[in-house]
Amino acid sequence: MGQGESPRVSQDPLQELRDQLRGDPPDALRTLSEADLRHLTEAIRTARVRQAAALEHAAEQGFSYVPRLLRGPIRRILR
Amino acid sequence: MSVGYQSIEVRAELLKLARLLGRAPDELAYLEAVGPAELRALREQVTEALFDSHLGALNRLASASRLLPVAVVAQMGEKVFGALLSARITGLLDPDRAVEVAARLPDGFLADVAVELDPRRASAMIARIPADRIAAVTRELLARGEFVTMGRFVGHLPDASLQAAVEVSGPDDLLQVALVLENKDRLGHLLGLLGPERTDQILEAADRAGLGLEARELLEQAGRDDGSPRPG
Repeated sequence: MGQGESPRVSQDPLQELRDQLRGDPPDALRTLSEADLRHLTEAIRTARVRQAAALEHAAEQGFSYVPRLLRGPIRRILR
Repeated sequence: MSVGYQSIEVRAELLKLARLLGRAPDELAYLEAVGPAELRALREQVTEALFDSHLGALNRLASASRLLPVAVVAQMGEKVFGALLSARITGLLDPDRAVEVAARLPDGFLADVAVELDPRRASAMIARIPADRIAAVTRELLARGEFVTMGRFVGHLPDASLQAAVEVSGPDDLLQVALVLENKDRLGHLLGLLGPERTDQILEAADRAGLGLEARELLEQAGRDDGSPRPG
């Protein structure tokens, strides 16, 4: 049963998954429906976006824990 | 491989993949027809893709942490980074320093990190954690029913740690971990550490749980392992 809800439907769903994985998925995934392939691709994309947001939040919030003297050098490393 | 055993492996793999993607396992039910080996390959691809997509930023955070006192790094790990990012960064830290940081964190948070961690990327650090700490985190994971997480770590623990983890685990726990063990080639060695009496207890637990067939299939696999100690 399809569970996909992709914002883009123009591209080959297997190619979209390949793009997200940056390589060929295992052959067994070729048997999935288009909707399921799109759902999986979207899940990977969302996980990546969530990770980026977590990193951004950590970089911003983390400074309040850094001793003032070290904030400059650390900011330079993080740039 | 029997259908029952394969089904256990598929469920374990789906749980691991779902966690990686921040989804409920039911959402990925359409992958149930895919074999466990292919699911594992997919999970490893997703792990690489997620890790590599922010490797630069993760490396910069790991570099910056070197300037900070261990206590501050531990505090930031727990209060700001959380388990997910801490797990991603752990393997990029110097293993000895990572162990010092871990020593300042509560068992519960280390268990949270263990759930998110890719042990292959943090093997050197995991091997350096004192055995009594491994036992404490094992207790925490057992209390949460995190057998799948424990199964991912067995192949990365030195004997002393493995022994400490086994000592705080009951036969039912060990059965659940053995069934979802990621490095099945270590099973023979694990059984060697357990000894025949505890192995029999695990088989009894399997019979009580209606998993006798699957457990014996697993033991048969282990019989093909040479049981040699873990290298390094």
